[in-house]
Amino acid sequence: MKRRRVAVREAAVAAPPAVRGGPAGRVLVALALFAIIGPFLWILTASFKYQIAIYSGQFPFTPTLSNYADVLFGRRSDFAGNIANSVVVAVASTLAVLIVGTLAAYSLRRFRWPAWVSAGFLGWTLLFHMVPVLTLIGPWYIAFRQLDLYDTRIALVLTHVTINLPMTVWLMSAFFREIPPEIEEAARVDGCTPLEAFLRVVLPLAIPGLIAAGILAFIFSWNEFPIALSLTSRQTATVPVAIARFAQQYETQHAQMAAASVISTIPAVLLMFLGQRFIVRGLTLGAVK
Amino acid sequence: MDLMTMMRASAAALMLAGLATTPAAAQKPFADVGKQAPITILVASTPWYPAFEKVVGLYEQQTGNQIKLDTTPFGGMLEKARNAVRSGKSPYDLMFLDTQWTIEFYEGGFLAPLKEIDASFDLPKEVLSYGDSGWWNAQKRWRTPDGGKLMAYTVLGNVQLLYYRADILKQAGIAPPKTWADVLTACTKLTDPPKMYGFVARGEKGNGIRYDWHSVMLAEGGSVVKDPAAGDYTVTINSPQVKAALDLYTDLLKKCGPPNYGTLGQGDVIQLLSTGKAAMGDVVTAAFASFEDPAKSAVVGKLETVALPAGRGGASGAVVGNWNAVVPKDVPDSQKKAALAFTRWFLSYDAQRAFAQAGGIPNRSDVYTSDLAKESKLRWMPAYLETQKFARQELGYAEGAQVEQILGLRLNQAVIGEMSSGKALNTAAKEIQDLFVKNGRKTGALPPLPE
Amino acid sequence: MQDALTTLLLSALANRTFRYWSLLPAVLLFVALTLYPLVNLVRMSVSTIEFAQGVEIWRFTPRANFAQLLADDALRPALVNTLVFVVVSVTIEMLIGLALAIAVAGLARGKTWARTAMILPILVPPVAIGSMWKLMYNYDFGIFNQALVALGAAPVNWLGSTSLALASVIVVDIWHWVPFVFLILFAAVEGLPVDLIEAARVDGATRWQIVWRIMIPLLRPAIVVAFLFRTILAFKVFDEVFLLTSGGPGTATELINLHLYKVFFEQNQLGYGALLSLAVIAAIVAFLLVAQRVTVAVRAS
Repeated sequence: MKRRRVAVREAAVAAPPAVRGGPAGRVLVALALFAIIGPFLWILTASFKYQIAIYSGQFPFTPTLSNYADVLFGRRSDFAGNIANSVVVAVASTLAVLIVGTLAAYSLRRFRWPAWVSAGFLGWTLLFHMVPVLTLIGPWYIAFRQLDLYDTRIALVLTHVTINLPMTVWLMSAFFREIPPEIEEAARVDGCTPLEAFLRVVLPLAIPGLIAAGILAFIFSWNEFPIALSLTSRQTATVPVAIARFAQQYETQHAQMAAASVISTIPAVLLMFLGQRFIVRGLTLGAVK
Repeated sequence: MDLMTMMRASAAALMLAGLATTPAAAQKPFADVGKQAPITILVASTPWYPAFEKVVGLYEQQTGNQIKLDTTPFGGMLEKARNAVRSGKSPYDLMFLDTQWTIEFYEGGFLAPLKEIDASFDLPKEVLSYGDSGWWNAQKRWRTPDGGKLMAYTVLGNVQLLYYRADILKQAGIAPPKTWADVLTACTKLTDPPKMYGFVARGEKGNGIRYDWHSVMLAEGGSVVKDPAAGDYTVTINSPQVKAALDLYTDLLKKCGPPNYGTLGQGDVIQLLSTGKAAMGDVVTAAFASFEDPAKSAVVGKLETVALPAGRGGASGAVVGNWNAVVPKDVPDSQKKAALAFTRWFLSYDAQRAFAQAGGIPNRSDVYTSDLAKESKLRWMPAYLETQKFARQELGYAEGAQVEQILGLRLNQAVIGEMSSGKALNTAAKEIQDLFVKNGRKTGALPPLPE
Repeated sequence: MQDALTTLLLSALANRTFRYWSLLPAVLLFVALTLYPLVNLVRMSVSTIEFAQGVEIWRFTPRANFAQLLADDALRPALVNTLVFVVVSVTIEMLIGLALAIAVAGLARGKTWARTAMILPILVPPVAIGSMWKLMYNYDFGIFNQALVALGAAPVNWLGSTSLALASVIVVDIWHWVPFVFLILFAAVEGLPVDLIEAARVDGATRWQIVWRIMIPLLRPAIVVAFLFRTILAFKVFDEVFLLTSGGPGTATELINLHLYKVFFEQNQLGYGALLSLAVIAAIVAFLLVAQRVTVAVRAS
């Protein structure tokens, strides 16, 4: 039993490629990695430089940990608190949007809803996605203030779920389309209820999609700035708001901003790894092949 | 030094010794304000914020009154201030508004006039006026104490100064420039791209170029509108003097600046000076501290400041950019009084002196004439005080933001060569005039310049 | 715990109503949070809003707002720049993202590491991306010009030249958003039916044929979603441009969302700004419809 579970889990996460890539593919990946990691490495080195070394593009340079110290332990820094806020908001909103969005996507695909319901909901979410966030802040601020939810993490979670719902629904919808209905029918014939069929058969097959949607929802929530800025004050501020404080009126404190950015990627990457494992383990626990 | 000053100085010195050792015992407060309700202040994350935070800490220690500081990224200040007052339940008791935002809040009726909170409140006469940006005459729709109510006071006033490398100028045998024409002569001599740029200022589209160019325009005797205080919004931007100023500014940037002069923002100008690549620059006073920090600058101790140069007619021009502290009107009375109590304390000589020593820019003239001006890291003070004599507020009307955007685009286009200076000014004049007509202002135009 | 869950799952009620309670939470949440802002937006677009004595005053001015939209000089360059920006960056991002997704999926080892490395750019906060790239593009001290000078070439005015500025911004956008496309398409590639591909390989199809004839058509739903959302996000781009160039030099990088920010936020014209954002939405819809027609036409040929 355990061996089969492990086999299923590995199969879902790191399957051997259907088609082995050739040298062209490997070259492309190498180039892309260089282009992508290059600037990130630049940010990493900047975080260890003094501001003047960043300004004059010095290389080699005298490294320093003062930027990190300033960001984490400085007098006016609440960075640890900001990270905690971001973790809470991002994790909560990602879980919520995945659950709500996946269920909705499945429902729209599998159950016969009248056209006005499915097209209407999908269309409305897409249309809402086109609205510039700037115009939403005013009404939301007033609404949350009236509800006494201003400066709370709940308000952020709710708004982030709303912002990420369109992409999650559409993405999961596309992935559910790939799963042939015959598999579900076979499960139903075997005696599964609709709910069981969904949880035990369909969902495990959609794991790659869930991971992609989850990662995107998490990242968008983690990096979301305008709403977090308006709906929070110092104690509930998230990481992007804290980082924006380094972009001051006349000049940017590049060194500290780089350090803060590097620090902020660590919990994000950690959480994504864990989240991935969590999804895979949770869903393959009851998977039926 | 007379007795009073000596006593004040020693009190302040003791104060600062106290700052270093964080005493728990109560010190004599700089101003007697009594017990007050806790308040929240909306303040931006700026270079002078640490100094402000220290001073607030002093206030809390001395009086036992609580202050919460909501430090906000500069880019989010206006948003937060607007949301706060529009919601009807402001979470802030004191907000710091940049000068160009004040008109919107005055006209919108969101604020409590300071004297209505406490009729006995008055600005100490030593506090610099900064162009009277804290007074609002609702009839004239103009910021003036003449018939106006006191809505705000200046927390920190910034003007730009001419920074120059004393060592380079001395070596070349050039005296610190007194007119903009002198600056041009000096910088063309000193410029040696790519090793050294003679003069750097902002050319960036928008507020950047508009602000820096404005002082040159004022120095040359130009103006944007004729007499807004009297209600005359005739557009005077396309006059020969303004064109001369624009051409001079373009020359300065083009002949003495880097090839990307059309995109330089304040951060870029500071970068060029800090790395030693610029011989002269037009920069805010607040940047002085970072030029003296070895972690941020390669030219520690080498930069000196003078007031901005004069124009052909001998007059100088400078634009004030100041943070105005306002009290929203829908805040409980006890908190309004507490905000005012902090204000009284903050505007006292000792508090301002502490602010200056912690790295801020004080707003009282007696601090500038005190012995502090002799300290090396405060050697910008004489130039600053000098500039206050002719610095003024500009674009102090409701259409200010739009006018700035029009000017910010057209000036940038002229400077990078996309259109001639005459055409840029004529276009800007037409657009500004249309704007005033739409808003029902009494306006007119000058004959167009040759393009 | 397992038993309680199983009981719940098998409960008849849960199953009978599955159809409803699977969709309802999303609909309720969405309606609750989006109805008021959207209605507000439409109302604002036909009004002029001013503040006096601390209170909002609305006036019904549809004609004036529309007139302003037509007379807005800054709008045309913004629209043109945005269209160029969207077409170029989305096309390049889709192509690179697709190629990378297939290439990484074809790796024998190190897939998870490659995947994690690939998404690093979207992990960096947008404000940091803008500031850092601005430093990299810096004329005097930026790393690109330093490299050019070291190789003996002349430094380039990346952000200051009207001809290069938009291209420089596009490069940043590509760096930032290829991971987005990659993530979606990679997940789709991983979810492709293995047996179909196996069968084709056994039949003797080359790698290229498998990619073109089998994988890409099967990836179509994911490609559509990636394209749809990437396009909408491209129309909404703000942070990168704001921090890199503020729309300059001149109007070279003035993009529509930046213009909207200036109107709605800096100039405080709420009514006209709302109308402008509706116009932007209309532009996005029009663009997507055109894109759809084009794809249909291309596939027909």
